[in-house]
Amino acid sequence: MMKGQRCHGWVLMLAAVLALGTAAPAAAAEKTLEIGVLGPLSGGAASYGVELLRGAEMRSDEINKAGGLKVGGDVYKIKLIAYDHKASAADAATAANKLVFQDKVKYIIGNAVGATCNAVQTVTEPQKVMFAFVCWGTNNLGPDKPHSFRSMLSQWEAAEPFYRWIKEKRPTIKKVAVISPNDTSGLDTNTAVVKAVKGLALDLVSEETYERGTKDFYPILTKILAKKPDLLDVAAAPPAEAGLILKQAHELGFRGAKGWTAGVNPVTLVGIAGVEAAEGVWSPVNINVRSDFVDPKVRKFGDEYEKRYKEVPGVIAVANYGAFDVFTKAMQEAGSVETDKVLAALTSRPYDTVWGRLVIGGKETYRIDRQFLYPMVISEIRGGKIVDIEQVLPAALKALKK
Amino acid sequence: MPIELLVQALLNGFALALVYVLVALGLTLIFSILGIINFAHGEFYMLGGYATYFGVAVFGLHYVPTLLLAIGAVGLAGVVAERLIFRHLRGKTLNAFIVSLGLLWVLQSGAQLTFGVLDKPVPSAFSGIIRAGRVIISVERFVVVLAAVGLIAVLYGFLQWSRVGRAMRAVAQDPDGAALQGVNIEFTSMLGFAVGCALAGAAGGLLAPVFAVSPPMGALPVVKAFIIIIVGGMGSLPGAVLGGLLLGTVEGIGSLFFSSAAVNVLGFLMVIAVLLVRPRGLFGAA
Repeated sequence: MMKGQRCHGWVLMLAAVLALGTAAPAAAAEKTLEIGVLGPLSGGAASYGVELLRGAEMRSDEINKAGGLKVGGDVYKIKLIAYDHKASAADAATAANKLVFQDKVKYIIGNAVGATCNAVQTVTEPQKVMFAFVCWGTNNLGPDKPHSFRSMLSQWEAAEPFYRWIKEKRPTIKKVAVISPNDTSGLDTNTAVVKAVKGLALDLVSEETYERGTKDFYPILTKILAKKPDLLDVAAAPPAEAGLILKQAHELGFRGAKGWTAGVNPVTLVGIAGVEAAEGVWSPVNINVRSDFVDPKVRKFGDEYEKRYKEVPGVIAVANYGAFDVFTKAMQEAGSVETDKVLAALTSRPYDTVWGRLVIGGKETYRIDRQFLYPMVISEIRGGKIVDIEQVLPAALKALKK
Repeated sequence: MPIELLVQALLNGFALALVYVLVALGLTLIFSILGIINFAHGEFYMLGGYATYFGVAVFGLHYVPTLLLAIGAVGLAGVVAERLIFRHLRGKTLNAFIVSLGLLWVLQSGAQLTFGVLDKPVPSAFSGIIRAGRVIISVERFVVVLAAVGLIAVLYGFLQWSRVGRAMRAVAQDPDGAALQGVNIEFTSMLGFAVGCALAGAAGGLLAPVFAVSPPMGALPVVKAFIIIIVGGMGSLPGAVLGGLLLGTVEGIGSLFFSSAAVNVLGFLMVIAVLLVRPRGLFGAA
């Protein structure tokens, strides 16, 4: 009997072990949600791509460390798949094809440089792949691109309030020169700046473009400075190129005011331009993560970013972290990772994010609400440091707040 | 158009063109002696830039000794590349072309992995500007111009009057004849490759404080160098200098009238024109 009971016990134990053995993997059957990140990870605009990737890494690691993303009854571990497109539209299209058809991703959170966004959207929109980016082309948003979202304020939100501020605070500035890269982002930014400058009855004396990767700006600057501008706006130039433009303008004797309408990552700009040439640069879209003007969550993000990467984050890192946060929250709200359901959830209500309360608007400009809106802060570079001067609301956000 | 604007434009064009002449001279020297076109030549320019960056920005050395060290280090890298790779490809133009393209990617990707992708500024040892009326040049660029002219003169003297330099010219003209006269072909080829790379490294080191350094920084100078040597004539030192000055004039003046995209095209139009009228270049041997 005893022998029989012992045998029965062994059988029960074996059954229990087998049951546990099969049940345990089922309970921990985490799914993997692969999310694409694109960007220029090399070349003159590499700082954009690096920040995009780091912003995504920060949020995805937080989610994974907290046990994964709980969506409906499933738990997803996030896996990032990143490709470098070198700010080239052709490489961006190739990378997008790889992400969508080879890696089968349904979400691409992160991309920069306007022309590359257009290329990516030729793949993402027909496939209903959700796409968040910081590209600055006007035509990157529209009713024909319902799955596309801009996660950072663009020139169309920033230029007019920025130049209105300049006109009010620095009334001696009358003549403006603007220079940007010769591509979608650059031309679009120049257009927005020109519209703002002319709309405010300032005098546009020079509107120039250059090819990305240019190192020697003496020839273009010789032409620009001959027009004697009061303000030189390095509008959509990425940090390294903006730094070179300002350094060389300083060498050529320019001592006027300096603007950077699309300015992000001023630390890189100061490093390249030098403290003297970078002195006094105003920027409306850059962010100082230690500023009193920003949400405490941004300051916390900045601390953790600096601890991890030994660098101070620029606005692109914050924006992509925010985009990642909003998209994943919308998945939870929808109870699904199906893009149609997530799209509906995402556009149904504001979300609390690293920016504070985030509104998705922009219908007046783009005919569809796909632009992330948050307060912008005008900053100035003083002695190589970023000093915030004033918080300004984009017109669309101001209208929403009324 | 004010005359000062024209002079400023010419000065802008010449200043950089003289540095690109250094790159071109290295390229043409290697071609003359080994009979190969080194498409990875721009990467030796990049190595010169990074060597200068590490010396000045990381280790805090003075710029001038750092530049000399950078030139030596890149010359040494040239010795390694010649011994390991290009010695075996002497005269095999197509093979060398493919291998040098591979080396280009290896060096550029290696730089991305090792040094990172972001531009790195190199503190300048020279500040201030030189002003003549409304024409301006920074002291930094003026020093670069002087150094480039000095290096071109040293190279000319070396090739013209030194025993090794004459041996290089002999190998370039007729390797078999040179060997019969007792010239050590292998040593001379190695030295020629090293001097060619060192010239690219010097150009990279000179422009590092002007433009900052980054892994793809060698792409543009090598394109300009090809324009210069095609216009000036493959293998000709005076041709390279003249080609550089012509390119500087065309781009400098062109920039006053055309967009930067169009100015980049002007150099290639010049190449087409020269090739149609004088296929061997202005000073090239028939």
